Amino acid sequence: MPDYDAIVVGAGNAGSAAAITMANNGLSVLLVDRSDPPGAKNLSGGVLWGNDLAQILPKWQSEAPLERFIQDKKIGFLTDKSSIIIDFKTKIFEENKVGYTVLRSKFDPWLAKKAREAGATVIPGITVESLAKKDGKIIGVEESGDVITSNVVILAEGINPRLAIEAGLRGPLQDWEVSVGVKEIIKLSPQKIEDRFNLSSTSGLASEYIMGNLQELNVGAFFYTNKDSISLGIVAPMENLRENGITHTYDIIEQFKEHPSIAPLIDGGTVAEYGAHMIPEGGMEMVPKLYGDGYMIVGDAAGFGFSNGLVLQGMNYAFLSGILAGETAVNAKGRNDFTSEALALYRQKLEESYVLKDLKTFKDIRKVTNNKSMYTTYPKMLESILLEMLWERGQPKKKVRDILGSCAADLKMSKLKTATDFYYIYRRM
Amino acid sequence: MLKIAVMIKQVPDSQDISIDPVTKTLNRSMARNVVNPPDVNATEAAIELKSKYGGEITVITMGPPMADSALLELMGRGADNGVLVTDRVFAGADTWPTAFTLASVADYLGGFDVIFCGEETTDSSTGHVGPGIAEFLGYEQATYVHKTEYQDEHFIVERDIEGAEETIKIGKPAVITITLNANEPRNPTLKKKIAAYKKGVRLVTNKELQLDPACIGLKGSPTIVKDMKTVPDPVKNPSKPGIEELDKIVSVLIEKGVVK
Repeated sequence: MPDYDAIVVGAGNAGSAAAITMANNGLSVLLVDRSDPPGAKNLSGGVLWGNDLAQILPKWQSEAPLERFIQDKKIGFLTDKSSIIIDFKTKIFEENKVGYTVLRSKFDPWLAKKAREAGATVIPGITVESLAKKDGKIIGVEESGDVITSNVVILAEGINPRLAIEAGLRGPLQDWEVSVGVKEIIKLSPQKIEDRFNLSSTSGLASEYIMGNLQELNVGAFFYTNKDSISLGIVAPMENLRENGITHTYDIIEQFKEHPSIAPLIDGGTVAEYGAHMIPEGGMEMVPKLYGDGYMIVGDAAGFGFSNGLVLQGMNYAFLSGILAGETAVNAKGRNDFTSEALALYRQKLEESYVLKDLKTFKDIRKVTNNKSMYTTYPKMLESILLEMLWERGQPKKKVRDILGSCAADLKMSKLKTATDFYYIYRRM
Repeated sequence: MLKIAVMIKQVPDSQDISIDPVTKTLNRSMARNVVNPPDVNATEAAIELKSKYGGEITVITMGPPMADSALLELMGRGADNGVLVTDRVFAGADTWPTAFTLASVADYLGGFDVIFCGEETTDSSTGHVGPGIAEFLGYEQATYVHKTEYQDEHFIVERDIEGAEETIKIGKPAVITITLNANEPRNPTLKKKIAAYKKGVRLVTNKELQLDPACIGLKGSPTIVKDMKTVPDPVKNPSKPGIEELDKIVSVLIEKGVVK
């Protein structure tokens, strides 16, 4: 008789969601996290879309430590001196309120507390050393020479899943699979935030940018408002950094903060926290075998992330994959069968959900996000077009077609290359 | 079988504390709560004593309900029981009512052969509470101790004194305060922590203790903070390495074998 029905390693969104799902259905659950309070070391950009969370915690909007609901969403391109931004501000977001900025160091301990309230044994401040194996099956976890056993282990270790890698359940992390996110939290009074961004006391702004002001680097940036702080940061593909011999990503975040369109927004703020984290961006190609005898892999550990350069999501995938793994464990418990065959249900559930559907639909997205022209050329091209169209300086006006042609020539892009790029961006996005 | 207690406190992590530039008070809102560092050494001293001479260890703290995590953490390291003394009437206590309340709890729990404390807390640095408990209980005491042995119903302790080390023998029961870094505390283990969370901590309120409200909490505190001043930042040392020096520092550390 094992000690628990399920052991979940990692109290992030995926791990806690799995633990809550199982505990709600009467399974005995151990949730272990390396930090105390549980989940306090977790980090993300900071926008949470809560449709999936609502499945297990219907009252999350009133109970969770949330910052501001997203009312205003911006996407934009930055060049050395300009910013080109699409500002999408809608009553629809206000009426639905499912996207919120969060600070994970507050949110994750709350979610783990919910797992405890659901009946899971939540142990903070312990780093599991290894997975316990017997006859090729995962039978539990090991720590300080003790083995704690369970029918199933759910690996929610996050982006660098050491246990899964050491047990040979997936290969070591490759450069192309991840981006590096660097983030700062900048304190600013609620009054300033609300005046500066035209927000109410509860509404917030989430912006994502493509940084076209860096040479040879495909870097995205984000800027979110919290109650009394700003979360901002940059996301750079590891492979791209390595190719360019870049080891100091803080230079890049400084360049973002000093950009003429960003600097005034954080004026008067003080840096309260900073951090860095890897982000799964390898798409379908980095997803390992998701289950086997006695185990399932969820959230970032499974590579569940989505990015097209302008939209970055992972927390929603974490919730849903955790819930689906939890449901699978509940089903397996009912049949008292935790073999690979029984746990294949998890994969099936993921296939039917938007998690694997998204990853499959956008399987070629890396060709877009890795396309240097997206970052180095097209933002400049946009800037040139807008300058031609909007700047009256006593020159004869041109048709858009001719502007495009001369911009492409100035930036040494062939018309054919530009046309095929746009065609593929259109096809893949 | 020694009956051992450890008096501990949950404090804001000193790394996360800043001084509010306007109000000049400590800003603890960003700080994570941790076990007062020398209290971890005190707990280790208790565990070492128990493993040599046998016994049962009870960790005790006075604090808000959330302080239970500090007790569970120390139970995960090897303490047997946790007692959380929590009641609104205890709030706002300075060192006098704190020592009085904790001494009363020790008495309420039947007294102990030895009570370990940390030398002082990182958030107020008075060092009053350990000796205070000893005085209220009429126990013998030894402060600033880094090594404890037990022989013939006595404790033989090594204490740090200015520029020297003193070995003294004290009788039982005793209060012993342990210095920071006196020993190398063992880590909590998963198995012990699971057992701790299963067992939980015992809550003690003033309903049970029945202490005179005039002697506890804010009412029982003779200390009055008249003023608080901030010390100006030391003059910036121009030779202090900037962030660009990091590579140099890392290579020196590797050279010296500090990091691999």
